[in-house]
Amino acid sequence: MNIAWIIVLPLLGVIAPLLANPTRRNQVAWITAVLPFAALLITLYHAPAILAGEVVQQTWYWIPQIGLTLSFRMDGLALLFTLLILGIGLLIILYARYYLSSKDPMGRFYSYLILFMAAMLGIVNSGNLLQMWAFWELTSISSFLLIGFWSSTGKARKGARMALTITGAGGLALLAGILLIGKVVGSLELEAVLNSGRLLVEHQWYPVILALVLIGAFTKSAQFPFHFWLPHAMSAPTPVSAYLHSATMVKAGIFLLARMFPVLSGHDAWFVTVSLVGLATLLLGAYTALFKHDLKGLLAYSTISHLGLITLLLGMGTELAAVAALFHIVNHAVFKASLFMGVGIIDHETGTRDMRQINGLFKYMPHTAVLCIVAALSMAGVPLLNGFLSKEMFFAETLEQSAIGALSWLIPLLATIAGALSVAYSLRFIHDVFFNGEPKGLKKTPHEPPRYMRIPVEVLVALCILVGIFPALLVGDLLKSAGVAVLGGTLPYIPLYIWHGFNLPLLMSALALAGGIGIYARRKVLFQFQSHFKEVDANERFDAWLYQVITFIRRIEALIDKRSLQYYLAWLSVALLILLAAPLLNLSLVGDNVVITPLTAEVWAGTALIAIAALATVVNNRRRLFAALLISIVGLGVSLAFARFSAPDLALTQISVEVITTILLLLALFFLPQTTPKESKPGRLLRDIGLAGIFGGIMATLTYAMLTRPIETISDYFLANSKTGGGGTNVVNVILVDFRGFDTFGEITVLGIAALGIYKLTAGMRLFLPATNEDGLPWSRDKYPLILKQVSQSILPLALLISAYIFLRGHNLPGGGFIAGLITAIAIVQQYIGHGNDWIQKRFYANYVGFIAAGLSIALLTGLGSWLWQKPFLTSWFDYFTWPVFGKFELASAMLFDLGVYLTVVGAAMLILAKLGQLTVVEPYSEKED
Amino acid sequence: MSALMAVAIGILFAASIYMMLRRSIVKLVMGLILLSNAANLVIFTSAGLTSGAPPLLDAATKQPPAGVADPLAQALILTAIVIAFGVLAFSVVLIHRANEVVQTDDLDQMKETDQ
Amino acid sequence: MLDSIVYVTMGFIGVAMVGTFWRLIKGPTIVDRVIAMDKLFVYSIGLILCLGMAEHTSLYYEAALLIATLGFISTTAMCKYLLRGDIIE
Repeated sequence: MNIAWIIVLPLLGVIAPLLANPTRRNQVAWITAVLPFAALLITLYHAPAILAGEVVQQTWYWIPQIGLTLSFRMDGLALLFTLLILGIGLLIILYARYYLSSKDPMGRFYSYLILFMAAMLGIVNSGNLLQMWAFWELTSISSFLLIGFWSSTGKARKGARMALTITGAGGLALLAGILLIGKVVGSLELEAVLNSGRLLVEHQWYPVILALVLIGAFTKSAQFPFHFWLPHAMSAPTPVSAYLHSATMVKAGIFLLARMFPVLSGHDAWFVTVSLVGLATLLLGAYTALFKHDLKGLLAYSTISHLGLITLLLGMGTELAAVAALFHIVNHAVFKASLFMGVGIIDHETGTRDMRQINGLFKYMPHTAVLCIVAALSMAGVPLLNGFLSKEMFFAETLEQSAIGALSWLIPLLATIAGALSVAYSLRFIHDVFFNGEPKGLKKTPHEPPRYMRIPVEVLVALCILVGIFPALLVGDLLKSAGVAVLGGTLPYIPLYIWHGFNLPLLMSALALAGGIGIYARRKVLFQFQSHFKEVDANERFDAWLYQVITFIRRIEALIDKRSLQYYLAWLSVALLILLAAPLLNLSLVGDNVVITPLTAEVWAGTALIAIAALATVVNNRRRLFAALLISIVGLGVSLAFARFSAPDLALTQISVEVITTILLLLALFFLPQTTPKESKPGRLLRDIGLAGIFGGIMATLTYAMLTRPIETISDYFLANSKTGGGGTNVVNVILVDFRGFDTFGEITVLGIAALGIYKLTAGMRLFLPATNEDGLPWSRDKYPLILKQVSQSILPLALLISAYIFLRGHNLPGGGFIAGLITAIAIVQQYIGHGNDWIQKRFYANYVGFIAAGLSIALLTGLGSWLWQKPFLTSWFDYFTWPVFGKFELASAMLFDLGVYLTVVGAAMLILAKLGQLTVVEPYSEKED
Repeated sequence: MSALMAVAIGILFAASIYMMLRRSIVKLVMGLILLSNAANLVIFTSAGLTSGAPPLLDAATKQPPAGVADPLAQALILTAIVIAFGVLAFSVVLIHRANEVVQTDDLDQMKETDQ
Repeated sequence: MLDSIVYVTMGFIGVAMVGTFWRLIKGPTIVDRVIAMDKLFVYSIGLILCLGMAEHTSLYYEAALLIATLGFISTTAMCKYLLRGDIIE
């Protein structure tokens, strides 16, 4: 099985929960779990090979020239994370089934959750840094959705926004870092980067790259000083917290550190920064956790603290420390996920998370209590549990390092203090919640949760114990292969057993344990001391800071942005002028290809027609109808120019569009405001005339310069192959439906979208007809003059005939789907003009949206059809047939494609015009039909 | 001929820019129409001005007569013309929608919608 | 012989176009202008047909046909606008 499925299956799974029946909650959960479970099976299928040291890879090239590939790569490190993400993810799915109330939209929740899971899997299994970054951003977005899931509460929205802002900003820094890495290494493929050895460390950009990557990792992993978003993300539903803050989201930053460890560590800057940040986070988190009354707050700060511990381990630089970091990643994920779930159960059953209220729960829920106590002891690092092992390794490594030179002795000391604090808050969690008297002021009597809600916790707690007792058996191989991935080949001996003899680390553990108990016993004094400090609300600070940033940017924006289209346009012209100034000055106006063509009278007349009509439009711009009329003349002139200069197809298209635009403009004149704003001030007029003159002058100069230079055409291929390859002699049409058929397909899609957009925009729009025209004269009473009716009706068959003729001959002579579609549309519009909407609707049910859909489908299916013959998309086919009466004729698949174009154009044009025409419903003046 | 065409294009551009710089919505729309005409003409002339030789092949020889016009530019403009219509219609409706909200034809006033 | 007749005809049409265009600009009423526009369409048909004859090709025939059919529709739309203000009711 391809490892890409490990990411693709959960990605597909995003829609699965939405398809399930939302009232059948078990069904929703099951359907959600199927695809991640399949992904887990695939992972396990690959696991033996990866544990044996192989790296499974799958690469699809997209644009390899600029390093864009779709590439998946799974090594030991990725495997370790994949197992955590999928394993804990599946438990969370089961847990959330019972956690969410029937009021919560379950399908949506699962959908976000799976999206997040897929994004995480994408990060750890990407073989390309840019691709990894894309998944990185996806985790930011999906975690935003998850944290803000209860979006009706302000806390959830604020927490989600803060998480997104911080991790999103970090993501941008990471992107910059990745691009720099790509520049230095010359490739964004992970394989190449990991094999680059000390290239990055020795490069002069190293400090910048390191800073950028570390900002990315630290923001994601809530390291000091970016840690403050994590406690606020606790407003998420507890299954989300359990997932995001144990195994996934925050571990993404750690993953990044581990992934980049081989190429970015090995420099003092790395050791000092990473270890000091880790140490600060470790202490700060552990200390703050002690004072949190909210259970989830305690766990949040404890998470920060443990993440700091892992970061510190990665920053120490010894090989065993890196392995210890990996080990602690697993252990922390396991015990923290179970603790979060336990807290969720407590919250669920008591209705509060305040430790001052919930006491003595052991009596009410002994089973849950035991589970939570075991997990909390593991967090405290008590022997025989998994937390003890990695903490022991951590203590041992603090003694080995020399990251901060002569002051390195501080690290073991501070580590022990942090250990003691962690024991203290774990103890507080156990003692306050489950013992310590009776609950106070609970709204309901707590009892055990539903049976299946406990299963995920039981599984995880069992793992805590099993890993604690048989570490080598359960995670030894996994750690080894992950260690190889991080350290690159040379792996130290990993002391994965419980008893190391009486040594210094054990003494530190004992000190931490005793110290923790001591701190907890004297907690009253500590609380008293802490109460002197005002608690800073990170939310308020963040908001204030955000507000300042936004105000600052608004001020800058106000300086340069006047929020006026005219202003933009004016600046655009000026910028164009400045940009073009230098090239224009160096350009000789006349190139070496001056062809003196005799100037004929009709060219003179035609260009004069265009120019005078355009100028007259400007002069008469205040008389709307006249201006519209003049624009129509300009269109006619352009059409004549196309005809004169050998472009019959364009002439036909232009004249059709011209008519349709005139109708549109007349409709628009009617519903756009009748009054014209006051004439601008003379100064502004002068400025505008100047701008327009300069712009026109530049364009004229460029056009002339272009016309007097030799033309290198790339059309020879089209001309040579049009008949033999595309089966048509009208090269323009063959280009449209064959050579560049994909472009045309895109263009008709755009046209369809524009029409649908208009359809939606005009929904519910109403227009009122003014009682008189612009000169104050009343309108004619005759809605549908007889002559107009008769002529309109008689023009219909004629126009349709022309349209059919133009369509059919399009492939070989000027014509085709575009023009035919426009002609048909105009013929139908004429019926609307002559007879009105009601008359049409009585006779002809026209579903113009259907036209567009049919047209696009035909074009698409024609394109897909070529796959049946193993040809690329939109390869055309043609052949010649002989029929008795008709004689020899040609059939081409391009014709079918052109039919799609035709239908789309008809549908879009009609949808636009008919919809705009139907807007007048109510007429404000009374009128009697004669 | 080239100079004449260039001047006509220049005037079209100038007229369209001037119209778009006015404050009225209607004039903006008219400016857009002129602009698309002008742009199409520039692309058209970029392939050179050819008289009396449309890009059609001789059915018998399957090859083009000597010196035919460049078909590629024409194909590009053909779709551009149609799309321009779609975009124009869309902008007309969009502007109208905005106008409904702020009740003005004065584009200088329309910035109020941003707030 | 025919060629020169064609060119003379084009000259005449040109003169007529200039005159009509003058009417279009001059007005004075909008109705005059609409009629002038319609006439311009008609002259364009003539011009295009003459061009086709001069170049001995039938390719411009369709363009003339389209201007004849569609130009007319443009004019009726204008007229409807003048009469009723709303062209599609």
